[in-house]
Amino acid sequence: MKKMFSYLKPYWFLAIISPLMMMAEVAADLSLPNFMKYIVNYGIEGIKVTDPEKGDKLAAGILNFIFGEHYTQVDIIVTFGITMLLITLLGGFFGMFCAYTSAKAAHGLGYDLRRDAYGKVMSLSIEQTDKFTTGSIITRMTNDISIVVEFFEMIMRGFVRSPMFIIGGTFMIIMLDLKFTTVLLCAIPVLLAVVIGVLIRVTPIYTRIQQKLDKVNSVVGENIGGARVVKAFVREDYECQRFDVANSALRDENLKALTTMAIISPVLTIIMNFSIIAVIYIGGFNISIESAGMSTGDIMAAITYITQVIMSVMMATNIFQSIIRAGASAKRVNEILSTKPVIVSGRKTASPDKTAISFRDVSFRYPGTHGRPVLKNINLDIKKGETLAIIGSTGCGKSSLVYLIPRFYDATEGEVLIDGINIKEHDLDALRSKIGYVMQKSELFSDTIEGNIRWGKPDATHEEVLAAAKIAQADEFISRFPDGYDTFVAEKGASLSGGQKQRVSIARALVRKPEILILDDSTSALDLVTEAKLRTAVRESSAETTVVMVAQRIASVMEADRIAVIENDGSILHVAPHEKLLEISETYRDIYNSQMREYGKKEVL
Amino acid sequence: MAEERKAPPSNMPNVGRPGGGPGGPMGARMNAQKPKNLGKTLARLFSYIGKSRAILITLLVLVLVVTGADILGPMLQGKAIDTIKIVDGKFTVNLEEMKKYLVLMGIIFAASAVVTYVQGLLSAKLAQNTVYRMRGDLFAKISHLSISYTDSHRHGDMMSSMTNDVENVSNAISQSVSTLFSAIITLAGVAAMMIYLSPLMTLIALITIPLTVLVSTNLAKFMRKYFTEQQKLLGKLNTHVEEMVSGYRTVVSYGKEKAAVEDFAQSADKLRKCTIKARVFGSLMGPIMNFLGNLQYVLLAITGGVLMVKFNHLPIGAGLTPGTIQSILLYSKKFTHPVNMIANQYSTIMTALAGAERIFAIMDEPDEINDGVRELDTEKMEGKIEFQNIYFGYVPEKTVLKNFSLSVSPGQKIAIVGATGSGKTTIINLLMRFYEPQSGKITIDGVDITKISKQSLRRHTSIVLQDTVLWGDTIENNIRYGKIDATHAQVKAAADTAMADHFTERLPDGYATQLSEGGTNLSQGQRQLLAIARAVLEDPKILILDEATSSVDTRTEMNIQKAMVNLMKGRTTFIIAHRLSTIRDADVIIVLKDGMIAESGNHAELIKKGGEYSKLYNKQSAGLVT
Repeated sequence: MKKMFSYLKPYWFLAIISPLMMMAEVAADLSLPNFMKYIVNYGIEGIKVTDPEKGDKLAAGILNFIFGEHYTQVDIIVTFGITMLLITLLGGFFGMFCAYTSAKAAHGLGYDLRRDAYGKVMSLSIEQTDKFTTGSIITRMTNDISIVVEFFEMIMRGFVRSPMFIIGGTFMIIMLDLKFTTVLLCAIPVLLAVVIGVLIRVTPIYTRIQQKLDKVNSVVGENIGGARVVKAFVREDYECQRFDVANSALRDENLKALTTMAIISPVLTIIMNFSIIAVIYIGGFNISIESAGMSTGDIMAAITYITQVIMSVMMATNIFQSIIRAGASAKRVNEILSTKPVIVSGRKTASPDKTAISFRDVSFRYPGTHGRPVLKNINLDIKKGETLAIIGSTGCGKSSLVYLIPRFYDATEGEVLIDGINIKEHDLDALRSKIGYVMQKSELFSDTIEGNIRWGKPDATHEEVLAAAKIAQADEFISRFPDGYDTFVAEKGASLSGGQKQRVSIARALVRKPEILILDDSTSALDLVTEAKLRTAVRESSAETTVVMVAQRIASVMEADRIAVIENDGSILHVAPHEKLLEISETYRDIYNSQMREYGKKEVL
Repeated sequence: MAEERKAPPSNMPNVGRPGGGPGGPMGARMNAQKPKNLGKTLARLFSYIGKSRAILITLLVLVLVVTGADILGPMLQGKAIDTIKIVDGKFTVNLEEMKKYLVLMGIIFAASAVVTYVQGLLSAKLAQNTVYRMRGDLFAKISHLSISYTDSHRHGDMMSSMTNDVENVSNAISQSVSTLFSAIITLAGVAAMMIYLSPLMTLIALITIPLTVLVSTNLAKFMRKYFTEQQKLLGKLNTHVEEMVSGYRTVVSYGKEKAAVEDFAQSADKLRKCTIKARVFGSLMGPIMNFLGNLQYVLLAITGGVLMVKFNHLPIGAGLTPGTIQSILLYSKKFTHPVNMIANQYSTIMTALAGAERIFAIMDEPDEINDGVRELDTEKMEGKIEFQNIYFGYVPEKTVLKNFSLSVSPGQKIAIVGATGSGKTTIINLLMRFYEPQSGKITIDGVDITKISKQSLRRHTSIVLQDTVLWGDTIENNIRYGKIDATHAQVKAAADTAMADHFTERLPDGYATQLSEGGTNLSQGQRQLLAIARAVLEDPKILILDEATSSVDTRTEMNIQKAMVNLMKGRTTFIIAHRLSTIRDADVIIVLKDGMIAESGNHAELIKKGGEYSKLYNKQSAGLVT
């Protein structure tokens, strides 16, 4: 929370002026019952303002100032009535102004906080965002920050308002007659005990409600997304039962919370009205024993103040609740703000070198995991303009190896060099701008196809986009869409087929004319003909580009200059061209045999 | 906003490829929409409440009681204060009489508190029962909708109906209805009491009501505008963060971090400005209402004073005591409150009705057609499948299958190849009756599948999809999905056949390993293996593998195929795959082109024939050799 307060600094003026405005509004509100008392006592009841016992110097002074010696009861009502209206207007103006200044300060703070927190998210390393998970980052960016902002808005307004009402109201009651305060002394502890008791009981229920709601949502989500499987396995009834379990759990939990909360309203009714009864009785009793100077107006005013104080105590408990909530949210936002990126940019930029990429004794294990490393003692030099393919069975570390090139992760041991410079010393932006990376799972964004391709190079001309799409074999299907390159890609590319997504992401990488092109199993959804065309086109158009490609299919890798075979233990035993590998690598031969039989070739033994 | 909710835009080619993953952004739903057919929806909603009608009526009766107490309160209070009188310029009081009133007040409010409590309990029950029932019904409906509905509607919208809309409707039923009722009763009651006390002063009090209504509805309109805008911007921020963070690797590798932050900051700035405006408008409401309330108070005080002092001898001023004026003043304060409430409830109720309309729209969708009554006999079933002259298109203008005919003998292994969009998955969609052909028919053992109940048809068919669907449950339960009563040994055997046993056993919790939603804590290949195990366990007569091993490496795939050779005996199998290694052993390979069978035969025959398949094959070989 402390850090959050430091975000208030640029808005210190607004933050100070807001509660002042609010005080002015409260003062106006608090003075109103007094004028109502004047109206009732002197205007309607007809008591003399100058009455030594029941008179009022302030009222007399005002009336004297306006009318001099002579005024009627109606004059009194009109005078104080207009005063009331003026004060209401003034109070309203202060209230509005306070709303403006506090909103400006709080939401300004919210904007700064969002920008900084999101900037931080964007500076974190992959492993760190993975750890936070997307869902939690979204909640932190939207919900949590909104809660913090609302909290600040509230303390600038309400935090002043309720205590002021409580203190001011109590003060006014004491001024009226000390005896009335006994009512408050009885009412408030009871009220607080009940409200706080309920809140303590209900808070854990709300946490559980959230969990149950998540469960309901996930069952629904799974069923909508997996409708085909549910139907294929004829599990509709089973799913309805499963949903019923989640649904009734949610209902029961909600009922628990609501029934617990239901006690507050009647208790409030009782306390409020019994306080009023007590006030009237105390007033009546005092008048009956004639010792204390009390009037109808006093009783009326006391009723108003006591109502105000009790309501404000209720509000104060709300604020208390929101402090707890905001504290939790602030902590979550702070977790992001205080995370330091694991991967820090170096300073050096490229100096040309014959070797584009080298791995020196690289071992790698995912951060936070134990057991055997994913990659073991990798030594590999990739020359400029070379096409290097990487092959191996599922889960052997093919993708992990290429993750190290753009520094998604740092090697656990050993070093990775690009253009002869250790990538830890390399300027990150400069490093990554050299690389065109195509992911295994194509990630497209909700934008047009052209916009998605231009992602790779924001200032690309339409011709460049077109050329890249043509090399990626994407032009042919894109131009068949009614809107062509302006076709809008739905969120996560849901409106394109797997192969189409892959080709668009390849075009996106190609448009950058990268020095290093990394294809991480990114042609798996293409048929072999299209893939072969794509490979040829890439080679022809960019002879100087170093290509690193991960693949499953022998056909995809066999024409590469060299092929690195990753063994099941994460090491590389052989790096050689296709023919040579068939001779020396057993793993490669296995893979080859599993795929090549249908082509009528002899198995290599 | 209506545009926001429309069914998918016309440029959504994935209707032609329903095998594609779950689409649909979880769009942030905007509030305060207008229902299209108010009366009808309202009537239907009330009939929907059905069983809970008794609770609702009880609730309204209780509201009547509480409201009555609220109205009686100020009157008694006035009477109690009226026992204080000025005699000889001094206040005197009839304490006994005052006590009488006060005790009466005490009894009434104690009773009212009890009733309020009961009312609270009942309204919670009503709300939760309605939500529960509505959600249950909606879910049952959704799970019985046809696949074509789920394929063509945004999943986020359906999710949102399930949560937000249902929640809004229940709030309206349990709270808005009683609030509205109470407000109207209060208004009527207060008006009656005031008329009883002084008709003229009632008239004065009424003057400010139209003003209040005018101001509050207009302000509400403005606030709604900014509120909607605010929701929209929040939704935009949400989508932005979700896209950028889930695609973070791409963002990072293209060095787009700064651009993303700028983009985000722009939306955040808009949100800030819009929220400040909304707040300022919102803050006007209180003071204006306050002013109108006080205006009424002052006007009443003045009239009361004038009547009492100057017109005491006339009928209109007769009987006006300070006590009655006070009562009237107190009542007048009760007047603005319900008017305010009604204005506030307006938007809540409209939002709820719009939500109810969307819920009913889903409930009105026809169920999946399921008029077949015949059951397939597991013992006698052979698995002969025939497609006869099928015409089909997902949209009428675009035919996917044209006069498609195919005959599959029992136990045959059929492979389907062809370019993306040639209709491979469509054949499966029709066989499973996810979609119905426009003309032509499909028979199993000579029986038209429309005559067979869908449950029976699907129980005898297992399907493994390219986009694996796994549940957030244990691995064991995921495999058991098709056969709930399977023993652990059976589960393990199925996993073993699918080559899933090995990696499962290596996980710390083995078969009890909890999968995250969608099974994202496994690799794509591992997920496919589990899906195959699930299909194997169901022990179907017909097995369909739609790109089921695309992410599994070729050696593992070969092993699965070897293991499945025995399993496949006596079963009809459909295989769709890009990888030729997956299909080379098929009894029949059919090549689809533009919705028609270009050629068919086994691998050797097709190569010999020198048609489409051999062309495809030769091109691939060429790709290999050069």
